[in-house]
Amino acid sequence: MYKLISNPLGAVNVVLRIADNTSIPFDPANTDYQAYLKWLAEGNTPLPAE
Amino acid sequence: MTITLDGTTGITTPTTSTTGEFVTSVTGFKNRIINGAMVIDQRNAGASVTPTNNQYLLDRYYATLTQASKFTVQQNAGSVTPPVGFTKYLGVTSSSAYSVLTGDTFAIAQYIEGFNIADLAYGTANAKTVTLSFQVYSSLTGTFGGALVNGAQNRSYPFTYTISSANTWTQISVTVAGDTTGTWTTDNSAGLGIRFGLGSGATYTGTAGAWAAGNYLSATGATSVVGTSGATFYITGVQLEKGSTATSFDYRPYGTELFLCQRYFISYGGTSGYERMAVGLCNSTVSASICIFLPVSMRSAPSLSYSAVGDFGIYDGGNVTVTTALAIDQPTEKVVTIAATVASGLAQFRPAQLLGNNSTSARLTFSSEL
Repeated sequence: MYKLISNPLGAVNVVLRIADNTSIPFDPANTDYQAYLKWLAEGNTPLPAE
Repeated sequence: MTITLDGTTGITTPTTSTTGEFVTSVTGFKNRIINGAMVIDQRNAGASVTPTNNQYLLDRYYATLTQASKFTVQQNAGSVTPPVGFTKYLGVTSSSAYSVLTGDTFAIAQYIEGFNIADLAYGTANAKTVTLSFQVYSSLTGTFGGALVNGAQNRSYPFTYTISSANTWTQISVTVAGDTTGTWTTDNSAGLGIRFGLGSGATYTGTAGAWAAGNYLSATGATSVVGTSGATFYITGVQLEKGSTATSFDYRPYGTELFLCQRYFISYGGTSGYERMAVGLCNSTVSASICIFLPVSMRSAPSLSYSAVGDFGIYDGGNVTVTTALAIDQPTEKVVTIAATVASGLAQFRPAQLLGNNSTSARLTFSSEL
């Protein structure tokens, strides 16, 4: 499960992998982000940013 | 033979390969494997782990497995004497006598970044021969297996090697003709993978000694380490080099090897209770923006993980305030900003230090592994 994170200026450019509290940047070369995109493609939806 | 000395590349001593072309044997990045001597273990510092699938172990090496808890991995597991010239090894110990199923696979692997294999010209008619060498020690004897693989995991070269004497370090050398077909990336993505099999079923094994379309982690008929409870498999001196001959292990300075590892993983913390890790400023009474200039340019913008959020604090010159959340913000390969949150008490606009909250358990890690 993932949760979007907004920075202090309100921009959302990071997603939190809740299982291990890993914050993942929206970088196509980052393999954690690639796994997140695969998870999205499987029809899942992240929790919204607060 | 010509020996060249210049201020850029140092000493170059060409040798003649089997095809008659010159192959540099001394200068540059001879060994494409990083941490081949198993000296860097940023994540576990010598502690034993029972890995999950794709979990990283000693730096740059990760575990592949389809069933949990069948083996443990530890730097210098079993405390045997390493082979001459080495002080560390990666040690695997089987946790049970598990009979692998058709779809099972267990292996230790390392992916080499595409930039670092570009000169091998894989996927072209000019693909270069490479030689994989390593030293291995096992409580088992027999034919063992492994494989080379491309980043897409659809081209594989299974190989075998023999351990004739149990509990004895054995030097292994495997020469592989370059793959002239398939897709091989030459950028910052996964280029070439090296896999050491610990037991695999038919789905993940192939005929040794030939490139094939498929995702193989070992060779057909190879010994299963996970099949014997307590079996050991220790390895060090891993080297992949261009050419058809295994040459002496390419020792690099420890600092150089650590920098090479840190392109993929960096760890802060653990040396003292209030270890300072980064600096920034308090942008409110409950948040601070902390900036870390990374020691090397990482492979990609990294992911951030940490031990427990209560292990960290923000020091604003007055007090240390425990953090309640940490997240990266707009990271690049070179610089990472961390948005740190506390319950209350920071003085806005003061400088801030991110530090351990009197905890040597504090670990702040950045990963851009392949």
